[in-house]
Amino acid sequence: MDPTFLLAGCGKDMTSFFSMTFLFLFFPACLLVYSIVPKSWKKYFLLFASYLFYWFVSGTLVVYLILSTLSVFLLGIWIDRIQMQMKEHIKELPKEERKIAKQKFIHRQQRVVFLGVLLHIGFLLVVKYSGFFVGNINLLLSLSKSTVVLDIPQFAMPIGISFFTLQAVSYIIDVYHGLVKCDRSFFRLALFMSFFPQIVEGPICRYSQTAEQLWQAGPIKYNDLTLGLQRMLYGMMKKIVIADRLNPLVTGIFDKSNSYGGVIILLGAVCYTIQLYMDFSGVMDAVAGIGQIFGLTMPENFERPFFSRSISEFWKRWHISLGAWFRDYIFYPVTSTKRMKQLTSSARKKLGNHFGPLVAGGIALFCVWFCNGLWHGAAWSFIFFGMYHFTLILLESMTAPAAAAFNARLHINTDGKPYRFMQIIRTTILVVIGELFFRANGFMAGLSLFRRIFTSLSINELSLQTFHKLGIDGHDILIVGITVIIVFIVSLINEKGISIRETLAKKNIVVRWGVLYALIFYIIIFGAYGFGYLPVDPMYAQF
Amino acid sequence: MERLIEILEDIRPGTDYENCTDLVDGHFLSSLDIIALVAELEDEYDITVPAVEIVPANFNSAAAMMKMIERLQEE
Repeated sequence: MDPTFLLAGCGKDMTSFFSMTFLFLFFPACLLVYSIVPKSWKKYFLLFASYLFYWFVSGTLVVYLILSTLSVFLLGIWIDRIQMQMKEHIKELPKEERKIAKQKFIHRQQRVVFLGVLLHIGFLLVVKYSGFFVGNINLLLSLSKSTVVLDIPQFAMPIGISFFTLQAVSYIIDVYHGLVKCDRSFFRLALFMSFFPQIVEGPICRYSQTAEQLWQAGPIKYNDLTLGLQRMLYGMMKKIVIADRLNPLVTGIFDKSNSYGGVIILLGAVCYTIQLYMDFSGVMDAVAGIGQIFGLTMPENFERPFFSRSISEFWKRWHISLGAWFRDYIFYPVTSTKRMKQLTSSARKKLGNHFGPLVAGGIALFCVWFCNGLWHGAAWSFIFFGMYHFTLILLESMTAPAAAAFNARLHINTDGKPYRFMQIIRTTILVVIGELFFRANGFMAGLSLFRRIFTSLSINELSLQTFHKLGIDGHDILIVGITVIIVFIVSLINEKGISIRETLAKKNIVVRWGVLYALIFYIIIFGAYGFGYLPVDPMYAQF
Repeated sequence: MERLIEILEDIRPGTDYENCTDLVDGHFLSSLDIIALVAELEDEYDITVPAVEIVPANFNSAAAMMKMIERLQEE
């Protein structure tokens, strides 16, 4: 273990909750001190631990987190003051004059919200996207035969900025809408913004979901400890045994994609989809588990997405907190503007109840998916990824009446198992294609890979020799295969409405601890770590 | 309430709107249905439904929708 991690910014490996430093040093020390300090100090300790964590992983960039928190704190108070002035002012007025008088104050609040959004999203755009924008300007300049070349700006990016910026914006907007009361405790707001398990990869929490829970943090309970550990270990199994073991194969295929034909590229796309899900949902299990140990209920970010029957359902089950953020702060606000409502009304009269709302809905959906693509990264391949899903969701909506009529005419039972299975397979194939472009090194590379699936398909490529070349052997394939089946069976049982964790909690102590030990030994024996394996950073931390 | 049920039936037929209490959470109403519904409610009841009101709690049942409509009419 590298002792220099204690230096600011030198504990970067702690971004992985399954790293030795986090699992055997930071987290146990945290639990120990948290258990010792008096109840009234626990919340302050959680805040201290969160900032210490951020200091270790990001060093002096912690200043941005402090400034970001300070700005939302002050903006919240500013909005609250205007709201109080408004209440004072209108209570003296007769009822019919109130609406007009309110408008002046609402406009003042809107200006403050605009300032807050501009500050936070503006900073995110500068640090994360300015290189991409300037690069594209240079490309346009070169196409117009200009000799001017702009310098590509490079900024150090605070870890988790894409996640906590969205939390900051949602807090400001929620205070404006009166959904939450403005927080007059800087420390409570700071803990909501910085809570260490969720700052790296989310989930993107709303103030109403976690702020008060965190502030009421109490002593660790035995049940929460064991159930939290169980959830952490399950996540660790997904990440260390499946995702990290698949990493050499996925990296090998995508980094040297010109060396392989269609079958291997297809295999790479499938394995990358599995890797991404196991990595991200595994980390989310760890976040939920750590939260549970502290007695918190963190919002779930995944709900068995590979049982989805359509792409729109898939996105309600995958990265739920991001989808919900875009829905609440982009989709409905766009469709609720006066012009969009007029558009919906007139379109409904001309196109009917199904296609009418699709006009405004399509525009809002485009905004959502453009932002979703760009949120994942500053590259055209990510924008394409967003547009790909936008097109699929729009097509699903447009063809729904025709599909329903077709099914009715052929007397197809759409609730029957074969039909549902076919829908699940179709959705999975579409998701895998999207992930191929998402993982490819650029949009053009993605296009070339996709083309090759159809033009150079030869089953002969699929041999143990190819796998050896890619750095994995039969042993790896067997372990990954068995563990994926375990995860699938657990998901299937949960999908049927049976909570495995609740069922387990009712069993006797031998069974409960037996499962915990089984998970520990399974990870120790079959995990991809140590000699021959490079530690793999959490995949969503880079976004 | 009868008129509201008629509007819902017109937008998305085939659901027991009088008794269903998870219209949004149970995926009976899609986001596009909600857009159509908001436009229709605004015309029918002379209200403005801001984006902040578009939450499952206000649209999960016909009764919840009626409550929201009455509240917005008072404002």
